[in-house]
Amino acid sequence: MVASTLFWNLFDEYVLWSLFVGLLTFGWLFHHSFWYVSSEGEKYDNPDKIEVGVFPRHNDDMKLEVAWTILPFILIVYLTYISWAPLDAVWTSADGGMHGDECEEGQSSNNFLDSNSGAVVSECYHIIEITGKQWVWSFNCNPNEDAWRGDVLPDRGYELATDICDVGTIAIEGYGMQPLLSLKAGETYLAVMQSEDVTHAPWIQAIGTKEDVLPSQKTTLWLPMNEVGESMILCTEYCGDAHSIMSAGLFVHN
Amino acid sequence: MMKNFIHSRSLVVMTILIAAMVCTPLVSSFPTGISGVKDSGCNCHGATTSDSVTPMIVGLPEVYNYSEVYELTVSFTGGPSTPGNINLGGFHLWASEGELSVVDATVQQYNPNEVGHTEVGNDQTSWTVVWTAPATDRNVEMILHTNSVNGNAGDGAGSSGDEWNKITKKINAPILVLESANPYVVLSTLIIISGILLIITITYIFYRTNPDSFNWESFEPWIADWLTTTDHKKIGTLYFLAGMFFLGIGGIMALMIRIQLSVPGNDFLTQDQYNQFFTLHGTTMIFLAAMPLINGFANWMVPLQIGAPDLALPRINAMSFWLQPVAALLIFTGVFSGTGADTGWTGYAPYIVSETAHVGTTMWVAGQIMLVASSTLTGVNFLTTIAVMRAPGMGWMQMPLFTWSILVANLMLFLSIPAFGVGLVQVYLDRVIGTAFYDAASGGDPLLWSHLFWYFGHPEVYVVIVPAFGVISEVIATSARRTVFGYRSMVYAMAGIGVVSFIVYGHHMFTSGMSPTLRFVTMLTTMLVAVPTGIKIFNWLKTMHKGSLIYRTHTLWALGFLITFTLGGISGMFFPSMAMDLHFHESYFVVAHFHYVLVGGTVFGFFSAIYYWFPKMTGRMLDERLGVLHFLTAFISYNGLFWPMHRLGIWGMARRHHTYFISTEEAMGSLPAEAAGWNMFISISAFLFFFSNFILIANMIKSVIRGQKAPADPWGGWSFEWMTSSPPPTPSFPLDDLPTLRDANEGHIANEPSAIVRWFQGLMVLDDNEEEAGH
Amino acid sequence: MSSDHHDGEHHPSAWGPHDWSHGAPHNSWSPIIMSIGIGIFLYTVASVYSWGNMVDSSSIPLVLIGLMIILFGLLIWWRQDASFDGIYEPKASGTPFQNIEIRKVAMWVFLMSEMMVFTSLFSTYMRYRFGIDSCQEVYESGSWIVNSQNVDTGEAVNCFLPASELIASSWFHIAPGAINTFALIISSFTIVQALRWAKKPIGSVDEEVRRKRVYRYLGSTWVLAVIFLTLKMVEWFVGFYIPEIGPIHEHDIMSLVDEGYTIHADHYHPHHGWDDIHLAELAALHPEDYEAYLSAVGPNYEPTNAVMLADIRVSSSTFFVTTGTHGAHVFIGIIGLTYMTWKAWTGGYTPQNAVSIEYFGLYWHFVDLIWVIVFPFFYLY
Repeated sequence: MVASTLFWNLFDEYVLWSLFVGLLTFGWLFHHSFWYVSSEGEKYDNPDKIEVGVFPRHNDDMKLEVAWTILPFILIVYLTYISWAPLDAVWTSADGGMHGDECEEGQSSNNFLDSNSGAVVSECYHIIEITGKQWVWSFNCNPNEDAWRGDVLPDRGYELATDICDVGTIAIEGYGMQPLLSLKAGETYLAVMQSEDVTHAPWIQAIGTKEDVLPSQKTTLWLPMNEVGESMILCTEYCGDAHSIMSAGLFVHN
Repeated sequence: MMKNFIHSRSLVVMTILIAAMVCTPLVSSFPTGISGVKDSGCNCHGATTSDSVTPMIVGLPEVYNYSEVYELTVSFTGGPSTPGNINLGGFHLWASEGELSVVDATVQQYNPNEVGHTEVGNDQTSWTVVWTAPATDRNVEMILHTNSVNGNAGDGAGSSGDEWNKITKKINAPILVLESANPYVVLSTLIIISGILLIITITYIFYRTNPDSFNWESFEPWIADWLTTTDHKKIGTLYFLAGMFFLGIGGIMALMIRIQLSVPGNDFLTQDQYNQFFTLHGTTMIFLAAMPLINGFANWMVPLQIGAPDLALPRINAMSFWLQPVAALLIFTGVFSGTGADTGWTGYAPYIVSETAHVGTTMWVAGQIMLVASSTLTGVNFLTTIAVMRAPGMGWMQMPLFTWSILVANLMLFLSIPAFGVGLVQVYLDRVIGTAFYDAASGGDPLLWSHLFWYFGHPEVYVVIVPAFGVISEVIATSARRTVFGYRSMVYAMAGIGVVSFIVYGHHMFTSGMSPTLRFVTMLTTMLVAVPTGIKIFNWLKTMHKGSLIYRTHTLWALGFLITFTLGGISGMFFPSMAMDLHFHESYFVVAHFHYVLVGGTVFGFFSAIYYWFPKMTGRMLDERLGVLHFLTAFISYNGLFWPMHRLGIWGMARRHHTYFISTEEAMGSLPAEAAGWNMFISISAFLFFFSNFILIANMIKSVIRGQKAPADPWGGWSFEWMTSSPPPTPSFPLDDLPTLRDANEGHIANEPSAIVRWFQGLMVLDDNEEEAGH
Repeated sequence: MSSDHHDGEHHPSAWGPHDWSHGAPHNSWSPIIMSIGIGIFLYTVASVYSWGNMVDSSSIPLVLIGLMIILFGLLIWWRQDASFDGIYEPKASGTPFQNIEIRKVAMWVFLMSEMMVFTSLFSTYMRYRFGIDSCQEVYESGSWIVNSQNVDTGEAVNCFLPASELIASSWFHIAPGAINTFALIISSFTIVQALRWAKKPIGSVDEEVRRKRVYRYLGSTWVLAVIFLTLKMVEWFVGFYIPEIGPIHEHDIMSLVDEGYTIHADHYHPHHGWDDIHLAELAALHPEDYEAYLSAVGPNYEPTNAVMLADIRVSSSTFFVTTGTHGAHVFIGIIGLTYMTWKAWTGGYTPQNAVSIEYFGLYWHFVDLIWVIVFPFFYLY
């Protein structure tokens, strides 16, 4: 289950508005569909002069039509606004945004929750690497040496402590032996990702986020880890035969 | 006689050609070598088996005991393997049930049910493994591959000269278990049975038309007429039949998918089969079911509604239709041999151009190229027809809304589908002659395909929903005995959807690493879609106000459409919000959303259209009681089928996964325990929904045989189609006596051209008048 | 469903020729036959070739059979059309197109989608042209020296090499494309002349003169189109030889394929140039232009006669497929012109049905226009 305040705040707000719109629409629909029933069309005597081969009288009301153009528009502007605020958490550029700069040796991200948007703010982040290939994920906590397709990651100059980031394997029922990524709660990670063959996308189910892993370019994904737990990483961009069992475990510990 | 002879000869030739296309295994599409996860292991040693190698498994029982552990000795004899070679051989063993495990370093484990030799184990011809029998009654199958190696790998010759073979062993459960059917066989059989049923139905209809001349002499010109027809009504009927046929085929595939997903960890379908089934389910439903159904009604109704004798280019229209069945054959060729396309209907690059995608993918692409050609020709036809062939008195703003919807849909399709066509041609050329448009190793960009695809793909989903809007506008207005509320805002809303459709496609690529600015722009434009859609929904509701609502089956479907489409529209609003989309992308929430829109929208809309226009098309009324029964069963089971999927998506069920596992105390999985029950519920609803639609089929057959004769205007509509007899004559309106549309709006000025139109008209008509003066 | 129209008057035969004097539908075998032919063609081409290798040469006859079936369908189509004398030409009834020939509108609408086809191809071109480093820049930057992507190691750089680098390198290379441009422009003129003569009012011109003019102009359009495709083949596959004539030196102009510019060119290097000695000399001459080179290889780099290797499959695919799509349009035009020239030769064009030439002319001008855009982008720039 997703443990992201950001997600649930937005979701709850959207559900509320959906209920409002839904109740309005369905209430209206049920009222009209029962109130105006007639068995042979006798209720009103052809007010629009409907006749075959004649374009019938217009049935319109400019004020109403404008009203239900403007009102939904205001609603979506509002929804865009509330969706806009947490966008920073999703895409802020690597340096100086709400996740600060890359951590110094021994520095902790000290994640905390921004009460307005529900987004996680941190002091600094750790770069890790996720690589996808048919049909295995692989994780690398210290991607300094990486020179994939001539694109070298900046050398951080130190190795991450194993309690901040560690990789291993885990046997998951139904999936077999799968790679395992252990991260620490309270730390924020920036995953730099690339694929060795076709497009993949890791679905970090714990925090409800994902991003495509492409063979031709590097993509990045923020992983602000806040809650302790065990969860799965699945592949969510179709990649062939064993796509559905291309998975990994994710441990978040204290 | 001579003419008949030519007709029958050409029929025979064509049948042979079609048969040849299906049967000839030209595309090396028959599975020869080893492929797929369960079979992979030693496919590096050549593609064909060799009889000189004899694999053996010793230690297997005929009938296993529950959970008993068996020690198996796997070995082989024969082949080039001789003592003293550098390497002797290798093996790969797969068990459908139970667990295999390793006892020494010569064997390694790939999966709980899959083992193979290790580097160390390369030097022997016999290995020992342990198999734990399952705890329940299952029929077990083991597949063993062995390689006999000639040991020249060290000389740089690799695996050349090596030989391999495979055996399959069956172990029975203590209690006899029925063999489960091969899903390919099931699907192929069902397709063939459906085809035969279709042929029988056609033959029967021919018999009914004239029972006295039920013989080849009269059948042959009758069927030849259908094959060569350019009459828009007959082509409409052909489209309709093709659409219904493929709706059934797509439905069968959906059922197989649902059987597979009904319980966690199911193995009714292999991954491989599942991947092909969801790919073809999507392609079939969108391109071979929804589009032909829409085209069927558009062909039938657009010329009738605008008072035209036929479409602008009747022969081109026939061409549009006939490209489709041939394209369908190409799309399905892979399935008949077990190597259908397995790319998803989106066919994302670079997987689609990778050799791991099945060979059938090439044919799938080829078939879609033909569908693109077909849609382009259809677009030319409808745009031209609607633009220039309206009857006198019918200005743009007096066109029936269904015609408007077809105009908007075809305009969208027409401007977007060339991008898809170009992308498909690029993929076809990549796969066939070896160009490198999407080859990442040579610098090809996979996102280019995504852009070309979604530039088409998003307008495409509106192309299938907008005609349903048109149908609902007609049905609700007619049922309520009112003009549709706000005709003009309906038109502008539809046009608005058409315009917006081209600038929102980026939301399909939110997770592809696109630029933050574009993400924001796309988020806003996507939200904007709700405005014109909202206008339409409110207008439909207001149409009923102060009306006299007469309930017929088509009314029920239209009201049902309002409910399901509104729900689908609301759930669609969750996606543009980036922070939620990152979770929902490729989850079951998406599956729920687009089925609410495509089934609850398009299919329900066209069910409504069937009940509304069937009397016009056949001259026979449908049975109202069967219709209501169809609506109730289908509507309820439909909601049971798709509503729970929203919840599954939020929980974390991923789309395009052949199975899922639930989390328990002991084991990690991606879904909570309740998910299993809901999946079973969904699968049961799926069956109910599928079979409830047979009521419609029965209703139609019953109506054609002994339905009441339909009057010209059974529901009280105003547009021209209700002016003609049921069924209408050919040509639909006599050329020298086209109808004229009158207008009930006194002093209404919509018909008067605006300044721009007058200017434009001046340009065009003046020129033409001069020309005529010159003659 | 029950209505059956088999009165031979309205439906002479589904094989043609049609009676065009009324608007009722005409049955035709052509659509279904052509569709099957297209299906067989696409199917068998994919059987013969796979991933650029010929895997099943025995299916080649089937490809030809597919093409024959398409041609057969086309012949039926033409046979039905040949009797069209313009007496019944459907005209538009709706505003604002009243009295315009419906098929003319249809042609314009069709060209709209053709425009989108070439737009998509140009998008592909722009994505790759501006998204991938050009080979010249990579060469001058010297990064290939540092990454040892040269002929000796067999490692190749991914870079974009526009065909214009080869084509625009000399007047002789550019000659076929340039002649083609003029051929197409002239053919746009000849098709209009054919229309002009066909349209001249009856009585104002001798019918025999009209027949000759129309078929000769259509014939010259056909010839020009064939010249276009022939020169294209020369430029792509054959190359040509120029003997020494007066001041002109002997030239052996290689085709693009002979130069190694093919869709399979993942280890491309030109027959001359792209070596580090030449690069070092340039760097020494213009150090300010080659800062990237100097900073990449360092000031003390000793050239070893290494030659850069490039993977240019994307560039060549883009070039061949875009210009090839245009070529396919010319080919379709040739097929249409063949029929029209034949029809003109039989005296089939009169002022009543001269608009048919106009419809084709619209298409032909469009093909011409596209070439005018393709030529500078793919041949010059």
